[in-house]
Amino acid sequence: MKHRFASKALPILLAAIAIVATGCGSNASNNGNSASNGSGNASENNAAAANGGGNTAAPAWTGTINMYAQAYTPDAKNITGIKTDQHKLRELADEYEKAHPGIKIKFVDEEFKDYTQTVRVKAAAGELFDVYWAQWAELNGTFPKGIAEDLTEYFGKPNPYIPDKATWQEAMNGTVVNETAAPGGQHYNINGDYVATAFFYNKELFQQAGIAEAPKTWAELIDASKKLQAAGIVAMSQAPDFGWFQRHFMSDFYSKDFDTIAAFDKAPGISSLDEAVGISKGLLSTKDERFMGWWPMFKQLTDTWKKDYLTGDPGVVGANARNDFLAGKTAIFYDGSWLPNNAADAAVKFEIGSFNFPVLTAGDTPLSTGIDASGAVGGPNGAFQFAVATKEADKSMKEPGKKEAVIDWLQFVGTPEHVEQAVNENGNFVPTWPGTKPNDSMKELASQASKELKAIGVGNSSANLGKDLQRTFGLYLSGNMDLDKATANVQKALDAANKDYATKNDTDYSKY
Amino acid sequence: MHFKDKTKMALTGYGFILPTFVFLIWFMYYPVYQALSGAFTDWDGFNAPHFIGLDNFTRMMTDEVLGQSTINALIWVAFSIVLAVLPPFVVSELIFNVKKARLQYVYRTLFVIPIVIPGIVTILLWRFLYQGDGAINQLLGMVGLDSWQQLWLGNPHIALYSIMLMGFPWVSAFNMLIFYSGLQGIPKEVIEAAKLDGATGWKRVLRLDIPLSLPQFRLIVILTLVGSLQNIIPPLVMTNGGPGYSTYVPILHMYNVSTVNGEFGYGMSIALIMFVVILAFTILNMRLVKSDT
Repeated sequence: MKHRFASKALPILLAAIAIVATGCGSNASNNGNSASNGSGNASENNAAAANGGGNTAAPAWTGTINMYAQAYTPDAKNITGIKTDQHKLRELADEYEKAHPGIKIKFVDEEFKDYTQTVRVKAAAGELFDVYWAQWAELNGTFPKGIAEDLTEYFGKPNPYIPDKATWQEAMNGTVVNETAAPGGQHYNINGDYVATAFFYNKELFQQAGIAEAPKTWAELIDASKKLQAAGIVAMSQAPDFGWFQRHFMSDFYSKDFDTIAAFDKAPGISSLDEAVGISKGLLSTKDERFMGWWPMFKQLTDTWKKDYLTGDPGVVGANARNDFLAGKTAIFYDGSWLPNNAADAAVKFEIGSFNFPVLTAGDTPLSTGIDASGAVGGPNGAFQFAVATKEADKSMKEPGKKEAVIDWLQFVGTPEHVEQAVNENGNFVPTWPGTKPNDSMKELASQASKELKAIGVGNSSANLGKDLQRTFGLYLSGNMDLDKATANVQKALDAANKDYATKNDTDYSKY
Repeated sequence: MHFKDKTKMALTGYGFILPTFVFLIWFMYYPVYQALSGAFTDWDGFNAPHFIGLDNFTRMMTDEVLGQSTINALIWVAFSIVLAVLPPFVVSELIFNVKKARLQYVYRTLFVIPIVIPGIVTILLWRFLYQGDGAINQLLGMVGLDSWQQLWLGNPHIALYSIMLMGFPWVSAFNMLIFYSGLQGIPKEVIEAAKLDGATGWKRVLRLDIPLSLPQFRLIVILTLVGSLQNIIPPLVMTNGGPGYSTYVPILHMYNVSTVNGEFGYGMSIALIMFVVILAFTILNMRLVKSDT
């Protein structure tokens, strides 16, 4: 009897041990403080002497700082679309390492197909990069709260590497700093470049269609597209990116209400709170004729496009559409300032020109206020956008002194001189900090960066809103949905987003 | 053998399986537990989750996208089961009835060879075939069927069917081999006796082969049911659920709300319901087929 009991009890006992062991393992992994990212040694760190970097008290920590620099990754071998002869950040890192013995800068050379997901997963595991590429809108809204250090305090202090400025913020682009702040006024990244967008066109195909000059007005753009179509040339063929095109039209149509919308949160720029309140007040909603007023107008243009990608997800079909243009199959392609470099990489034989989104007039639509909204799409959404991981998102940041060391490195990279060097070496973007100059090839597009940043659009108040609107937009432009149905769908998406925002942020819209 | 020796021997045995058991719990059961408990929270994938009771499930009731996804999934499952069963069974019958064993082997091999092509390659290939200027439309144009040309993945009315019907001629090598081995398992005496009773050709297939292959049918139906409900890759890669939400399915919705929107709690609640539905379908299917046999 005893034996039978023992034989039955043994497996249960072992299973219990296994479960406990599993639990312990799990807890250990949760509570562990080992640096999976950096390789600093805490005891060593505490003992490390100050090592003379910058002009202030140098960081006492020693170890490796990991940085994911996206388009600025030096000597990248695994990231597509980056020049292999890009070295500037490495040179800056070498210089920094020399001045800070014991600190190593390691750049992450990996391709991330879904970067948002990568950041989420790495942060959840406490293994996010010490310094990482992240755009302000994502940091303010899409990414989970608490994955990036609030840099506001450092913005208000001197940067030891910019001795002639009282604060770091003084060296930055003031408009960008103001308009990219989080609803609470926090700054989660340094923002050093500007991406411009434009219509790029194949000059040979334009000539074949008898078009002598690039379009300057909306009517000329429609006319050129029709001429191309009549000549048997595909005028355009790409997924019409709702997030991009809405900003051109809405920044124009709503320009007189910009200050009203931006003031809801009592901070500069249009934050996700401003957007949510604007929706709740019926301003940024289908109740306002301007909100959907541009859809039929834009359809005039897309009716001349090849239909293949109209209902596609820009993320899914974007590369195909770009390849069609680079292969000379389509005449016009709307894209970012990286396209000329893509074309050079693809060794395209034809000459590429570019023209800005036209300034609309009252003749085009009575909704237009006539402002130049050509720069409303790009803006401070390039790649020189770096955030610092919190200790929750990156366990190695718990090491004493590491946070200060990482901020110090960011301050070293974040000087006008270094911003200009890195951005111009890359060649796809425009440096925005005062005193910096763009490459000659970017001067035309750089004019967009000098304009006041008053872009209006929706999509930041809820993670799903932009994607939801893109789906309805595609169905409408492809003729699979009429405007009434599209309007009803859009309003439903806006209402859902507003409810979502209010729930997540505990917002009472009646207060605004 | 003394108790001490028996205990020692048992401990040794259990000692050997203990590491496997630990990893099994750690990597299989613990995540399931996390998913179950997470379904009742608002976890964003990073910050501490808060218990929100049945809010996620209430939200599911009014989630129109989930509603359309579910309808799409049901259509998908029905088509998948037909395509997973019929063509492989027909081909296995044809091969099984080839007289020469060597020829049977050759045909089997020919149908199995494509299995080495990674699934993602097939999907990308079909994405190109379905393009407006892709091979399918070109072929239709060549044979004078221009009016049949379509935007196979761009038309919300046919995109779901285009994805479901990719992979022509739909002969899954795995399913074909399962059916073939089932047919091989039918005793020769039974086949001979059926022949003597006049059960040849279609009569034999309907009255002998199919009834005796029911365990294979059951297995394939269950695997297809589970597989098609979990199959996220084709809609994700080919259309990301578009145009509109015409190719959206619950698993893609779960993926997007979790990893794109950061609503892991809600994603887990969808996963939990999917788990229950798949389990229910599986039990139902097993009971129905069992009662038939």
